[in-house]
Amino acid sequence: MMSELSDRILTISLVYLGPAAKMFLERQTLAHMDKLKFEDITPSHLPELVKWINISGGLLIGAEKAKEFGEKIRSIS
Amino acid sequence: MLTGANKLVSIQHSLQTKLTFSFIILILLIAGMTFIYTYGETKNALKASIRDELIEIAGSDSTQINGDQVAEIKAGDEGSQKYLAIRDELWKLRSRSTVTKNLYLFRVNNSNLEFIVDDLYGIDPDYAKTGESYDSPDHDLIIGAQSNATASNEFYTDKWGTFLSGYAPVTDSKGNVVAVLGVDMRADNVIARENFIGNTIYLILAISIIIAGCMIAFFSRTIIRDIKKLNASAEKISLGDMDVMVDVERKDEIGELAHSFSRMVTSLKIMMMHDDKKE
Repeated sequence: MMSELSDRILTISLVYLGPAAKMFLERQTLAHMDKLKFEDITPSHLPELVKWINISGGLLIGAEKAKEFGEKIRSIS
Repeated sequence: MLTGANKLVSIQHSLQTKLTFSFIILILLIAGMTFIYTYGETKNALKASIRDELIEIAGSDSTQINGDQVAEIKAGDEGSQKYLAIRDELWKLRSRSTVTKNLYLFRVNNSNLEFIVDDLYGIDPDYAKTGESYDSPDHDLIIGAQSNATASNEFYTDKWGTFLSGYAPVTDSKGNVVAVLGVDMRADNVIARENFIGNTIYLILAISIIIAGCMIAFFSRTIIRDIKKLNASAEKISLGDMDVMVDVERKDEIGELAHSFSRMVTSLKIMMMHDDKKE
């Protein structure tokens, strides 16, 4: 069951990453954030998620877009 | 590798060629219709303004002529003091205007027009003699000019040339109409004005077509360039190269297409990486 926060993150991510956005977010939280499930994300995890969006997302969509994407996620809190 | 013939077919079928040709045809059509309409309207307006000008000149000049003296002139009076005085008056009036060519006086005799004084007397041996009847294409207008100043509706041609003329009544001291003053403007004057306007419109349209053509060429080039970039990216992905970044930044529909395409590519990459990890 998705929390309201994870739902909002996913909505923003879909714009940048398309239908595989959830897959990307799950991979970032599981691999880089102590095996955290994406559904369990809380506002305190957002800075770390933004960091990994900049790193991993930058490889996929370019650094500039990844930064823009990250700022949108950061602004949720 | 494209051969010469294939390259030509490719150019013929390209979106840029189709867009450019469509716009050029559209511009030429619009420019042609605009030229025809504007030129026609301007010509009519010019003719109307020249008619007004002639009516004003004839109306104003007719008040300067001594109607009592005109009424006394009869056939064979050419060279007499009365005749010369009126002719000199006509010369003076003609010299005041830069647009009029000839001035002359008619008498209406039982619906027939007879010349009284022609300002060509003493200049041109082909002047109209006093009492000489004149079968004018503006006959009805001249008859009507006994009450109100008027002007030719169209150019007419007689033995002296092609003119547009203004007519106005000349009255004696008692207020009786004794003659009609005719004021000619040569057609070449009017045609020169029409040509000037036509050439100006033509020049403006030509400059507009060139500017529009350059803008179309520029915009179609940038659109086609970005479509080609998208096409190249799609081709690379279809051949298995996933290291593709779609480098198209526009704020229009092409930009939206590029963003959608880019999102699709990103999604594909994520899915493929996910599958790799699972394996």
